[in-house]
Amino acid sequence: MKYLFSCVFFFCGFLLFSQNKEVLYGLDETPQSLMLNPGTRIVNKFHFGIPLMSHFHFNGGSSGVSAYDIFQTSSIDINTRIRNKIFELDDRDFFTATQQLEVLNFGWKNRKEFYFSGGIYQEFDMVLYFPKDLAVLAWEGNANDIGKAFDLGEINTRGDLLVVYHLGATKRWNKKLTIGARAKIYSSLLSFSSTDNSGTFETRISESGNNIYEHIATNINLSLNTSGIAPLIDLEDSSQITNKISNRAFFGGNLGLGIDFGATYEINEKWTASASFIDLGTIFHTKDVQSYSTKGDYTFEGIELLFPPLGSDESAPPYYGDLIDEIEDTFPIDTTYNTYSQMRPLKTYASLKYNFGKTVGANDVCNCLDTGEDQRYNQSIGVQMFNVFRPKGPQFATTLFYYRKISDYLTLKTTYTVDSYSYTNFGLGLVTNIKMVNFYVVANNLQWYGNIAKAKSVSLQLGLNIIIDEN
Amino acid sequence: MKKNICLLFLVTSVLFLFNACVKDTDFNQTDAIELTPLVELDFIFFNINSQNFTDIDANNLIVSDTTNYDFLNSEVATEAIIRADFYFKNTNSFPISLITEYQFLNDANEIQYEVSIPIQDGNTVNPVITEFTEIIENNDLVNLTSATKVVVNTIANSSLNTFDGNLDLQSKATYYIRLEQ
Repeated sequence: MKYLFSCVFFFCGFLLFSQNKEVLYGLDETPQSLMLNPGTRIVNKFHFGIPLMSHFHFNGGSSGVSAYDIFQTSSIDINTRIRNKIFELDDRDFFTATQQLEVLNFGWKNRKEFYFSGGIYQEFDMVLYFPKDLAVLAWEGNANDIGKAFDLGEINTRGDLLVVYHLGATKRWNKKLTIGARAKIYSSLLSFSSTDNSGTFETRISESGNNIYEHIATNINLSLNTSGIAPLIDLEDSSQITNKISNRAFFGGNLGLGIDFGATYEINEKWTASASFIDLGTIFHTKDVQSYSTKGDYTFEGIELLFPPLGSDESAPPYYGDLIDEIEDTFPIDTTYNTYSQMRPLKTYASLKYNFGKTVGANDVCNCLDTGEDQRYNQSIGVQMFNVFRPKGPQFATTLFYYRKISDYLTLKTTYTVDSYSYTNFGLGLVTNIKMVNFYVVANNLQWYGNIAKAKSVSLQLGLNIIIDEN
Repeated sequence: MKKNICLLFLVTSVLFLFNACVKDTDFNQTDAIELTPLVELDFIFFNINSQNFTDIDANNLIVSDTTNYDFLNSEVATEAIIRADFYFKNTNSFPISLITEYQFLNDANEIQYEVSIPIQDGNTVNPVITEFTEIIENNDLVNLTSATKVVVNTIANSSLNTFDGNLDLQSKATYYIRLEQ
């Protein structure tokens, strides 16, 4: 129990907008920016990510609670703090976690100036909406809420573990427009979702007069879809589970298709706009599928005794057994094996930036840090919009950023992000290019690094690549 | 030189990113976390008349019924319930007083806990309500949660053969629960 609480609240402390990589977006010095916008204007001739080291991403948090909120050293009892948070949060608050590990990433430019890029990465992504009514019911019980209908439809969660194979192409069509697209094959290793639930539970003063209360479950309709999980349940040790999951990674899981596309438009020398759609796709769950559902209505009023006249060898009616049977018959758990498909959480980015400072990469200007066919500037400021479609609707974030290419060796980008739950999220990304070695590290919520327990979210991305540029 | 300055800046920044700290928190407080919900749950109800007595014998003074109640002996109940309040509301329109007994038995039919409630006499025009609350905790609770069935005896002081009336019971239990590690 201790570790459960620790994990839950530690986990709660580090998640928010897990899919948003606001610092990495538009940071063209890293090949991984192509994964956020296939239409990124890229100047490399070739890149190759160090296998398993080219991109690691972890992000986690909660929209409404930090670890500090719960575990701060304080004279207030921890149970009081938890209770206050339960009542402060609502059913649109959520906990999310995302982790990505790039297995392979490579890219090259061909003679026709198409930049092809591809690779493999593993991803875990989970979202759990806060089921407030259930939390209140569990924490307080029903005694103080006689007459209140607890909404079971607040149960809403989804999680996926998958491997993604991708291949994309980017092309600068003219001096203004760069567009790109990426095809993806998803190989789902594990998946679960319970997003379409409804029903209420209420304890009210009896209207029939049979007993004190009526405990009423109304319009119950609960379901859970799983794929890839059922065959693991009977496995005895972790090595068997690991082997089973690993075998699915190479197209052995439930497959899906998706596409990313994006574009960068250089309005003029100073202004640049870009946008992208990531993970517009579906996974078709056809293997190892098990779905569970139950529906019904029931009113419990206690056990009614009938006092039948019984002979000495007769026993009383099985009231309790009949009650249990009646409840089980009312809410049978149907297990089905029907295939189902599931949209990937679609992410969209858009940005507008203003370039200024020293010119770099220009043919006709000597004050440059780089040379190339087109002029660029070593600084820019701009705004980015991010959106991810989650089961209960889209989640938005807006970012202001400042970019600076300090030298040939070092580039930085700082960000300030605002979303529905956090108005102070500062991020920093650093990219070094020393000879052909490209290293980057990105983190956000830096203002909380003095005490990271106060952060509702933390994101960390880092990686190592080999890059050969045009020159 | 410039390259070295950049490297120094990078290393410093990376060290900063990887040296985030957690302070002013105490994760050992998980030891103190406990859920203490208060659960209201209907218990038993019945409505009996004089025929329930006379069906057995014209001068019969006692009727009994039994129900399993395995819930009390479940792991959750035995470990989590720290107090149980049973509330009984008896509405009597018999013109005689009665006694209701609630015997909580284990699987060997041994009485683990017993509640006896004297019920005031009433009449069919103005039934009399007798309310009774039994608070069970500590060792009594240990006995209660070892029970798996409940026997209910309704005892009349005199024959109901010639009387009209009913005894109506409504009851509930309030369970004080504490869940901790």
